[in-house]
Amino acid sequence: MSKEALKLQNKEFRVPYVPITWVRNGLSEGVLLVVLLVSNMLLSKKGATSLPICPSGSVGCQVSLGNLFDRAVKLSHYIHSLSSEMFNEFDERYAQGRGFITKAINGCHTSSLTTPEDKEQAQQIHHEDLLNLVLGVLRSWNDPLLHLVSEVQSIKEAPDTILWKAVEIEEQNKRLLEGMEKIVGQVHPGEIENEVYSRWSGLPSLQMADEDSRLFAFYSLLHCLRRDSHKIDNYLKLLKCRLIHDSNC
Amino acid sequence: MDLRQLLLILALVCANDSLSTSEVILGRPPIIKCRSPEQETFSCHWTDRDFLNLTTLGTVQLLYMRRNDEEWKECPDYVTAGENSCYFNTSYTSIWITYCVKLIKKDEVLDEKCFSVDEIVQPDPPVGLNWTLLNTSLTGIHADIQVRWDPPPSADVQKGWITLEYELQYKDVNETKWRELEPMLTTVVPLYSLKLGRDYEIRVRSRQRASEKFGEFSEALYVSLSSISSVLCNEEIEFPWLLVIVFGTFGLIVVMFLILFSKHRRLKMLILPPVPAPKIKGIDPDLLKKGKLDEVNSILASHDSYKPQLYNDDSWVEFIELDIDDPDEKTDGLDTDRLLGDDHCKSHNCLGVKDDDSGRASCCEPDIPETDFSASDTCDGTSDIDQSKKISQKEEDLLCLDQKDNDESHASPADPTTRKPNTNIQSEVNQSKPPFADSIESTSPPVRTQLSNQSSVANIDFYAQVSDVTPAGSVVLSPGQTNKTKRTQCEAYTEPAIQCQPNFTMDSAYFCEADVKKCIAATSHDAVEPHVQEQSFNEDVYFTTESLTTTAENPGAAAVEASSSEMPVPDYTSIHIVHSPQGLVLNATALPVPDKEFMISCGYVSTDQLNKIMP
Repeated sequence: MSKEALKLQNKEFRVPYVPITWVRNGLSEGVLLVVLLVSNMLLSKKGATSLPICPSGSVGCQVSLGNLFDRAVKLSHYIHSLSSEMFNEFDERYAQGRGFITKAINGCHTSSLTTPEDKEQAQQIHHEDLLNLVLGVLRSWNDPLLHLVSEVQSIKEAPDTILWKAVEIEEQNKRLLEGMEKIVGQVHPGEIENEVYSRWSGLPSLQMADEDSRLFAFYSLLHCLRRDSHKIDNYLKLLKCRLIHDSNC
Repeated sequence: MDLRQLLLILALVCANDSLSTSEVILGRPPIIKCRSPEQETFSCHWTDRDFLNLTTLGTVQLLYMRRNDEEWKECPDYVTAGENSCYFNTSYTSIWITYCVKLIKKDEVLDEKCFSVDEIVQPDPPVGLNWTLLNTSLTGIHADIQVRWDPPPSADVQKGWITLEYELQYKDVNETKWRELEPMLTTVVPLYSLKLGRDYEIRVRSRQRASEKFGEFSEALYVSLSSISSVLCNEEIEFPWLLVIVFGTFGLIVVMFLILFSKHRRLKMLILPPVPAPKIKGIDPDLLKKGKLDEVNSILASHDSYKPQLYNDDSWVEFIELDIDDPDEKTDGLDTDRLLGDDHCKSHNCLGVKDDDSGRASCCEPDIPETDFSASDTCDGTSDIDQSKKISQKEEDLLCLDQKDNDESHASPADPTTRKPNTNIQSEVNQSKPPFADSIESTSPPVRTQLSNQSSVANIDFYAQVSDVTPAGSVVLSPGQTNKTKRTQCEAYTEPAIQCQPNFTMDSAYFCEADVKKCIAATSHDAVEPHVQEQSFNEDVYFTTESLTTTAENPGAAAVEASSSEMPVPDYTSIHIVHSPQGLVLNATALPVPDKEFMISCGYVSTDQLNKIMP
């Protein structure tokens, strides 16, 4: 090693033991800075429970998988609770006595994605596939949610709660998608999966002139949203317990 | 008509078709209830409400259909879930798929229902409830416990397939209403402030998170706190008298100390009132302490009624204060009267003037205000009658002098006039000289008035030299002598009065002692108490103690003559005998004739002169 490298090494070694006299002598600024950085590093390594923040685009910044999953589960749970509430409100207000439930047997647009239907299937599926499925579902809902926000306002006497919930769901869905992409990047890096998602073609139904038909379109959309958000929430919890806590939540 | 009937039938059928929900078709309350405890299986139960004989009439079937199927299937398991139930195991269960079930009886749809399994999740109750005592309060009334339970075994929480939320309820055994806690995700929760001596019941139920329906409650946990013995069994603490007393006394002590320290001086004043020291009106005792006599003198000078003590250092010099009698103001008895009136004095314990700020010794209380004699009623044994007597006597004396003067027909009218207005009543010297007296007498009214106007002192005694003491016990004073008994003595002193006619240089009532002494007929006397003058005037007249000899053997005028004509009256005497309480007998020491120098500086003698004079 060169002398300079040795010097640097020695300096780094000696930094924690900087005597006070050195600081006084005018090396204060540089030494103090180094001391602060070192202490920060040491402290940060000791299991900081707070979620670290990575600026977007940073390469080296590494949030742990556990933290990512925690955030993802929180978001998915939040989205599902919002969807449930929104559906219930809509059901109470618009769908009473209309028999929408029987007509809603027809599947959602995401039914083309073969997602596990029960626990056994969910346990058997590989986590990477499951993650990809989750991503597919999330991507499939980008478009419908966007239109839901714009179209729900046209509903006659739409309550504000439904409106802002729709907006909130749409926003959180984007964030969850970003998070999931990060998780996938950590769990399964390098492999670029062709984006699997199902298209949604329900927009014309939301814009139908017939009030009844339009309301049914909304009803079925919200019903599907609730179901899919529950799916995602369940899958993520399953993955979290499997991957992070080793099936011992 | 057939067409109308067909239309009616069609309308009815269409109405039937449009109404798809079982509730609307049948018009009965739904009887099928389906539930999934763990999101892996589900079961449906129907109640046997309206149809008592369901089984007898025929088999009731439950048909189900999944979304993707096109036909109805029959229930796979009527047994596992119990009576009137249909159990779907895991193979028949798909979670996010819509199911429809219907109950039929002989092609009669009793009830129909559609759902998805994730919507009907109602977990089993938690198991393994137990509690532990955390702590008890110091008062022994309350206690904290911790309740712990396990999730239902059917729910696969560990793999994360289902996430449960718990709600705990507790109540006192005697109560009817349950208290709830907020839904929590943990299986451990503390309960605070439970009362000791009572029993509680606790129950827990769970639900899937973000779902609305709770499962069934667990069995109630019985918490018996009455068995825990506590030191203080009483729920209501008795009033802590001991604590109150202790703290009360402590607080009182603290308050007392505060008062003591804060009002230290005041309390001291209350308990031990200060003995008033003799003080001079207007003079700060500190000045006297500091020895700033000039300031003291100036202060004294500012008061009209005070004299400076010019001979402070000459302690052996004694002065008799001479006051011009002012009958207008005089309400008190003369000192001479006091001297004469032994009875009065004794009875009233009066030796002299009351103590005013002049410092004259007095029998009276020291803190009587220092207005002059006017206020000292206690000291004055003399009543008004006596006072009037005195006044009349004085007038008689003055009259005597007047007569003498008239007889002599000499006067120095100019003398009194030259008297400076400052000369006060007190400054007048005793004289035996009738002319002077006469002059005084003649001008006495105006003088008196003049003096009285100027004098701020209310009553000042007129002091006279005691010239003789009669065997009867009365004192002969000259001039202005008060003889209660005899008037003849008034005449007796004409001669000496005649003799005393020197040309006085009237220097503002400032008389040479020598001159005065000539006029004095000193035979026997009672000593006049010397008074220390503290009242200041611009020019004062002092009168040294005369050589007053008590010669009882020399009564009458002869002695007077002899003493007056022959002997130079000594200026200073020494105390010969002390005749207490009546006075001092002073030895007449023969002094050399005073020099001219002494003559010049008459009125007072400096210490140097005295040293020359005295052996």
